[in-house]
Amino acid sequence: MRILVVEDDDIAAEYVRKGLMEAGHVVDLAPDGELGLEMARATDYDAMILDRMLPKRDGMSVLAEMRDDGDKTPVLILSALGEVDQKVEGLRAGGDDYLAKPYSFTELLARVEAIGRRSDPTAAVTKLKCGDLEMDLLARTVKRSGKNILLQPREFRLLECLMRNAGRVVTRTMLLEKVWDYHFDPQTNVIDVHISRLRGKIDKEFEEPLLHTVRGAGYRLQV
Amino acid sequence: MLNALKKIYRNTLFRLSLLGAILFVVALFIALGNVYFLTISSEIRRVDKTLVTEIGEFQTILNEANIIALRQEVFLRSASGDGLYVLISKNPDGEDVPTGNLTLRVVKKESSEESIIPEGAARNMTRTNFILVEPATDSQPERERRIRGLAGPLKVGDVNGALILVARDVEPTMRTAERVKSAILTSSAIALLLGLLSSWYVSRRFTRRVEAFNRLATDVRAGHLDRRAPRNYSEDEMDLLAEHLNDMLDHIDRLMKAMRYAGDSIAHDLRSPLTRLRTRLEGAAAEMEDEAASDILFAAADDASGLLKTFDSVLRIARLEAGERREFLSEIDPKLILDDMAELYAPACEDQDLRFTDDIQTGHKISADRGLISQAVSNLVENAIKYTPKGGAIHLSLTRNPHGRTVIAVTDTGPGIPEAARQRVKERFVRLDKSRSLPGSGLGLALVDAIADLHRAQFTLADGSIKADDKSAGESLGLTASIAFPRLRSGRSMDSRGREKKVMAKREADALPKPI
Repeated sequence: MRILVVEDDDIAAEYVRKGLMEAGHVVDLAPDGELGLEMARATDYDAMILDRMLPKRDGMSVLAEMRDDGDKTPVLILSALGEVDQKVEGLRAGGDDYLAKPYSFTELLARVEAIGRRSDPTAAVTKLKCGDLEMDLLARTVKRSGKNILLQPREFRLLECLMRNAGRVVTRTMLLEKVWDYHFDPQTNVIDVHISRLRGKIDKEFEEPLLHTVRGAGYRLQV
Repeated sequence: MLNALKKIYRNTLFRLSLLGAILFVVALFIALGNVYFLTISSEIRRVDKTLVTEIGEFQTILNEANIIALRQEVFLRSASGDGLYVLISKNPDGEDVPTGNLTLRVVKKESSEESIIPEGAARNMTRTNFILVEPATDSQPERERRIRGLAGPLKVGDVNGALILVARDVEPTMRTAERVKSAILTSSAIALLLGLLSSWYVSRRFTRRVEAFNRLATDVRAGHLDRRAPRNYSEDEMDLLAEHLNDMLDHIDRLMKAMRYAGDSIAHDLRSPLTRLRTRLEGAAAEMEDEAASDILFAAADDASGLLKTFDSVLRIARLEAGERREFLSEIDPKLILDDMAELYAPACEDQDLRFTDDIQTGHKISADRGLISQAVSNLVENAIKYTPKGGAIHLSLTRNPHGRTVIAVTDTGPGIPEAARQRVKERFVRLDKSRSLPGSGLGLALVDAIADLHRAQFTLADGSIKADDKSAGESLGLTASIAFPRLRSGRSMDSRGREKKVMAKREADALPKPI
């Protein structure tokens, strides 16, 4: 993906750039809002990481300007303001996701890849596939190697989230937000427990495991 | 009705103006009484003086002439003028002979004495009042007239020569007196009534303006710092009070904003370097070949976020306490939240070898914020998981208490919290000695308390009420953490708290079983 990072903190921006490049993306950096907006207009990026507090022009107004122009580039808002209200405000203003500082890079990477153009989560798909694991979103059924797997509604949504992001890391916080709609961090390993139950259903009886734990990051569904 | 009167009476201004009205009525009463005294009483005194004078004149006639002359004088005066007379004197045969114009009239006496001449009159001058009945004539019906008289002996030398009764018709005067009396009473009553009405009106007008201030205070406390007191710019004392209140609110608003700004900027200024720290540590961890060393780096990265999370929690609690989010509360069914919570945490409990049960009842409605309630319940359940030893049990419930309030409770079979410490653990950064070895910031319960407070709910800690499956868990008291929500009031906002409390109290009383 070609990703634009608008961030005024040089060191942080450099780390993000380095990390994203290592993950195989092309990265452009913009140190302030004005330049960020200019670059977003000039190039058709697959995703954009936008800090809220920027010199010259703040992130929210850059985003508003872009959306007014009809620019649909997926935007991940990065902010030092982590209150739930501010998250909601950011998403309402046209952001596709919101991440509060301090974030871990893996979280940032997972989220950018999730919103990136190549994986439009809003696309009208009715069937998801990952190796021999198939999910029918209309019939609400899951099969692996042709064998039916019975899932609880929540397990179904958990697996759906993982399958939509197949091949990419999905963090615990992302799962909590997307599957449970909670915007706080539990202190215990609740998500791990749910994942291990799901794993018991989709992986246990099969030779090749699909659901992998990515250390220090989250989970990844991959062949 | 009685309560409404009591409420009016409690109003300070009503009482003050009522006192004024009463004083006015008393003054009016005294003034009119004086008028009465000066007119009616002096008229009666004048009559009395005339009677005394006349008896004196009769005595003089008797002294200077004889009884015959006196009889003639009485007869003469009876025939003309407005006087009424009875003279009782002895004829040569020694019989009592009455003379005068009163002898033939029908007299209704006010006293029980038989004669219209009172008993004591033979010895002393005696006052006597009686009613004269004028028989009906063609032109007018029977009339009664009040008569004021003076009776006494007329002396010849030292011996009683005759008895005389001199009287005047005081009916017109008495009528006037009655009219004046009733006028005094009526006008006093009207003055009192007008006084009451004006007191009520004044107090109501005043109360309305005071109520506006009370509403303002309630709204401000509910987090609407933008509300201001209404002003009419009349520059009267209420208007000045409004102006001062508004100035004060502006000041508070500025201070709050400054505080928030300071908090936000500290958070912001900490976030960027912490993010950098974290990113560096993670980067280093990823490049590390040695797994043990990389684990340490990952843990250090988590610590960096933990620092900020703690700071975030403190800020969040402060904001909740300021009531900022109260206006975002909406009517929701807590069952949906608790079902999700049970579903989220049941596996985690089982994973820790804890029996998880729930009793989530239907038909509840509370005014709440889903995110905040989820967070509070999550904190309570996680606390329960953290402190309950293996083999214990955790119970999540949504029930209605005897007062009809919706209660969310989390019960465990853990060590519990000693009663003396229960209030203290709700404060920030308070951790009991027992829990120091476990991870945590000491902010969990403080956050729950702040969330409960925002919802005007009561957060209480009590002994647990369930038993652990595993007997080896010992005789722990366990803990019940419950949040009791206020009853939902239909059609009323969360503002104007005092009034709502009353309604609540009344409804609670209604909800109690009626004595049979």
